[in-house]
Amino acid sequence: MQTNQQAVESNGMGIAIRLRQRALGTLANIYYSGKYLSILSVATILTAWFLVSYYGLANPIFLPAPESVIKTFWQVATVGYQGSTLLEHIGTSLYRILVAFLLACIVGIPLGVLMGTSRSAHRIFNPIIEFYRPLPPLGLYTLLVMWLGIGESSKLALLFLSGLPGIIIATIQAVTDINPNYIRAAKSLGAGRWALIREVYLPGSGPTILTGMRISLGFIYTVLVAAEIVAATAGIGWMIWDSAKFLLSDVVIMGLIVLGLTGMMMDQILKICGKIFMPWTRIKRS
Amino acid sequence: MKKLILSSIGMWAGLSIFSAGAFADKPEEVTVGYLNLVNAQLVTKSLGLVQKEMPGVKINYIKVGGGGDMLRAIAGNQVDFGGLGNPPTAIGVTRGLPIQGIMVLNMLDFVESMVVRTSKNIKKLEDLKGKTIAAPFGSTTHYLLMTALADEGIDPASMKIIDLRPNDIALAWARGDIDAAWFWEPALGAVLKDDAHLFMTSGLMAARGYPTWDVGVVMNDFAEKYPDYVNKFVTAECKGIDFWIENPAETAQIIATELGLALEDAARMMKGTEMVPCAKQLTDQYIGTTEKNGQFVDTLIATSEFLFSQKRLPLVAERSVFEDFIDPSYLETVVQQ
Repeated sequence: MQTNQQAVESNGMGIAIRLRQRALGTLANIYYSGKYLSILSVATILTAWFLVSYYGLANPIFLPAPESVIKTFWQVATVGYQGSTLLEHIGTSLYRILVAFLLACIVGIPLGVLMGTSRSAHRIFNPIIEFYRPLPPLGLYTLLVMWLGIGESSKLALLFLSGLPGIIIATIQAVTDINPNYIRAAKSLGAGRWALIREVYLPGSGPTILTGMRISLGFIYTVLVAAEIVAATAGIGWMIWDSAKFLLSDVVIMGLIVLGLTGMMMDQILKICGKIFMPWTRIKRS
Repeated sequence: MKKLILSSIGMWAGLSIFSAGAFADKPEEVTVGYLNLVNAQLVTKSLGLVQKEMPGVKINYIKVGGGGDMLRAIAGNQVDFGGLGNPPTAIGVTRGLPIQGIMVLNMLDFVESMVVRTSKNIKKLEDLKGKTIAAPFGSTTHYLLMTALADEGIDPASMKIIDLRPNDIALAWARGDIDAAWFWEPALGAVLKDDAHLFMTSGLMAARGYPTWDVGVVMNDFAEKYPDYVNKFVTAECKGIDFWIENPAETAQIIATELGLALEDAARMMKGTEMVPCAKQLTDQYIGTTEKNGQFVDTLIATSEFLFSQKRLPLVAERSVFEDFIDPSYLETVVQQ
């Protein structure tokens, strides 16, 4: 078998065949994994969009043609929108999102572990979190602007507060779901409270915490536009909000697409980070 | 599934034919979007004048924070009648919003003004460099701020200009986050008591050749279906304007009640804006007549040119586009009655 392959390679055809095999493999993978369904659904939406605008079925104020959105994308990427280029807008927003997200993780994970392991801690913090969690972000934001002003801190605080509950709740869930046998085993081996948290709780709850982090990042994304409405001068959310005032719907749609794509990208990065730092999450729990 | 979709489409089509046939002469309800500022629309609303003209029709009033929000409400077909300042009008008309300008709501004087923080010692526009200035983007005052800076050749990038709605400006002012702001009553009055004084008024800018005003608009669909009801609306608003001019004391009382202000504040704010009697609106200085449009068209073109230079508009529309937008016919009918 191996000699055969070597013979083929020496033929000079090896690379082409291997590429073809790989391409076939990828296609087969797309087919059997059902990924073609995703490709199909996205393609359908794009085709529908194209056809609707091509035949003039929609008012361009509400649904601009795909080519005008692409043109706008290029223009904002190179010339910029109201003083900042697309990259600067993305950078400003990603900075806000990441700072808020990191703060939410730094506060949320330890608090979740604490609330999951100590009943008194749960009783202390739970009512606060349960109370503010369902509040609409704009209502909360009004108060935050009053307290923290129109600058960066109120925006970060809003994003942070919207990301926090997801992480805390997932962490509590993760910690309470740990098989008590693991804890008994560790205790019988002489583990103290701190060692328990480090050696059993954190690794055991990793996958669920990661899910919580992904949900939390999603929440932070959903309030980005709200956070950038008041007194921002840059950011993807602000760009969407500002352009809507001037009825530049091509900028609105372009901004939403960029927001969606960066959101998906961040989610993928989180998943990959999880696989790297928590190799055991690769084993599916059933 | 297919059947379900087909039958629901059929039902929907049937319903819309039915409703179009049955109620063609009378709308079920009329939604008026009014700007949160001081003008005779508050009188019309408070006295229920629109309701008196349209018995049996449900009248909804929606308060809208500024021109940008009004554009969104119009684009989203959430109002039948609205009010727009000249910059949002220029934006909406250029972008092809299905609206017509039917009357003058008010001419803006010091009811819209720029206030500066007294302790910051701002004596001329040049002194604003490095300061934080707020204005509601897309509105008349944002337009005037940018125009005033351009007029004196000051680079707007040398200061921080931020987008805040009037109520948020009052809040940010109280916190000390901003040094200057160009916005309008009633929020303006709240700020004036706190380390602030008037620096520039929209009336002064009008004298320099940059008038700002608000125009009443109607959705094209509504005007086509119910032209009589556009007349009724204009009649009601004209009565409100006449009431404002003839009964200043009672008007001040109405405005104080509507906006929750002290009587003397309401009286001061009233002086800062001019109501134009409907017959006078048909002269050249305002919207003009069907035969010859007035100076509002010129203002809209000048505003568009400025917004284009600010990259807020993709193009400057033809004069005919603005002439088509302004439709004095309803006002003419009402004035002749």
